[in-house]
Amino acid sequence: MRRLTALSITILALPVAATQASAQVRDTSRAPTAIQLSGEYTATDRPSIAVQPFAGSAGTGVAPDSMATIIRRDLEYSDLLVPASVPPNLVSATPDYRALNSLNIDYLVTGEVQLTGGGYQLALTVHDVVYGRVKDAARYRLPALTAGDFRMAVHSLSDEIVRGITNRPGFAASRVALTRQNKATASRATGSYDLLVVDADGFGLRRLSGNTGQIYSPTWSPDGSKLAYAFNAGATWQLIERDMETSRTRTVTSMKNLTTPTYSPDGSRIAFAGWVEGNGFEIYDYDINRNCCRRLIASSQREDQAPSYSADGSRIAFMSDRLGQPHIYIADTNGGRATLLSPFVSGMRGYYFSPDWAPNSSKIVFSGHWNSRGVYQIMVADATRPGGAIDQLTSSGDNEDPSWAPDGRHIVFSSGVGDQQLSLYVIDAVTKKRRLLTGGTGKLRMSDWSPILAKASDYVVN
Amino acid sequence: MMLRRVGLLTIGCALTLTACSKKTPETVTPSPSTPTVAERDTATERMAREAAERARQDSIARARAAEDAAERERQLQAIRGVLEAPVYFEYDDDRLTEEAATALAQKVQILRANPGVSVRITGHTDERGSVEYNLALGMRRAQSVRDYISGFSVDPARLEIVSMGEDQPEDPGHDEAAWSKNRRAAFMITSGSTLNAPGR
Repeated sequence: MRRLTALSITILALPVAATQASAQVRDTSRAPTAIQLSGEYTATDRPSIAVQPFAGSAGTGVAPDSMATIIRRDLEYSDLLVPASVPPNLVSATPDYRALNSLNIDYLVTGEVQLTGGGYQLALTVHDVVYGRVKDAARYRLPALTAGDFRMAVHSLSDEIVRGITNRPGFAASRVALTRQNKATASRATGSYDLLVVDADGFGLRRLSGNTGQIYSPTWSPDGSKLAYAFNAGATWQLIERDMETSRTRTVTSMKNLTTPTYSPDGSRIAFAGWVEGNGFEIYDYDINRNCCRRLIASSQREDQAPSYSADGSRIAFMSDRLGQPHIYIADTNGGRATLLSPFVSGMRGYYFSPDWAPNSSKIVFSGHWNSRGVYQIMVADATRPGGAIDQLTSSGDNEDPSWAPDGRHIVFSSGVGDQQLSLYVIDAVTKKRRLLTGGTGKLRMSDWSPILAKASDYVVN
Repeated sequence: MMLRRVGLLTIGCALTLTACSKKTPETVTPSPSTPTVAERDTATERMAREAAERARQDSIARARAAEDAAERERQLQAIRGVLEAPVYFEYDDDRLTEEAATALAQKVQILRANPGVSVRITGHTDERGSVEYNLALGMRRAQSVRDYISGFSVDPARLEIVSMGEDQPEDPGHDEAAWSKNRRAAFMITSGSTLNAPGR
């Protein structure tokens, strides 16, 4: 039985929720009964973990500190472990398990860093404090502190620690792609966008390209090697695919007026909404490797957009206004009837959009409001229970463009007031704990969370 | 229209006068007898007078031609202004209002009088709602406009459509006054710069 006090969770959770409530518009309207607002922080039985300062050979102080700091933060952000700290007098290469245990510490991470040619070697140990023994130990070869992949390599170790203790996936070694709408200048009208990425812990925000037109709906390929997005320089919307290794871009297909791309889980196909004369947007998918063979997967006389595949690729969630207002539907990818998933309240128009199917479950997250003129909230529905209960995760501000983290539990979304300043937040769908990912730099939106981009096994030394 | 015709007439007149005056000296030179001093003076004076008159007429013609060109440019701008004026829509609606239809009828006349002109119709929305869904709404607005215009025997191939969604507001404000200006279809001539005024 892991000891854990409810008090420690409360102290950790509440200040975050309070300080990060950038959105001051309170949605006071009464939601339909099918939508359950569960904004309360619920304590779950999570083990506590401490990361003691890493030891290192002389002259490598910055690197060990960086590694321990990154890992400490990642473990907290996993929301699977409760962070704890080791009092300075108990920091030791041979931990005093009994003393640590009396401080309610369940696990301890220790590390020893050696400088090697062009990088570091880290001996990382996870101690089971309760049972008083080493749980896992491994040596890793890590890139230099200044190398572009240093942080990602360390993040992969955090995911390994989380997996080792909880047997669940982490998401530290991942990134979020996003767009930023630039402000108008004398030489440029509004409407120009930048494409950016940021690490899952909010560090390393960087601009990949942009400033030449509109960039919408960036989406990661399932192996994380590519980003596809919709681009319009003024005359038409095209699909662009960017190779993350080489930075080269290409136009996916010569078809015009395309938007909301998404990859199939096996990466062989890309689904998108394509404008068809007289028929509006219809959803197709397209064989990427053969550069041909589009296939219709959703059609109506109205607008169908924003496809998102289920993990096995057999179904899609999408947005359609076939009832008059945009709603979320699910359908088989090989045809068949579309089933309404978002809450439909008789007499209320509703407005739901941006569905994203979880990478490892039947959960679908989307944004919307039961009244078409309300402020939009983030909601989660279960594809196996259309018409069932819907979990509303947010209750204030305007919240849009949700996307699941690779752990299928955390969600990134765009939030602000009146669209004038939008920041990205990460919310834990289980605890509803929320943190700022990146913000304060304009209108950040249309976020898409990458798959896992690095694994500890890539760095392990045998 | 009237002004331009007057201008052309004036240019014609000036050209005729110039042509006439050129012939006059020839009728003087074949004189059989040696001209007297008085006669020579008269001839010289006449030639000088005629040259001055020619210069005066030329400058009048040039001024009138410049005026004419400026007027024609003003007219072209006015025609272009009518063709490129945006039409506005109601909230979350792609149907043409009566005002919009009236404005489009004027554009139809211009497009029919200028078969070489092609236009890009760009649909815009206000900032409310989903960015991606607004893209669809913008497309539908552009499509409504194209359907209306091509219904009057204007080849739809001359009417390219695209949507900017909510990203290029005409008014950057965040209230209904701004939004009502931002829900629009905008027009841009993409080829065929020569514009004729529509026939009566």
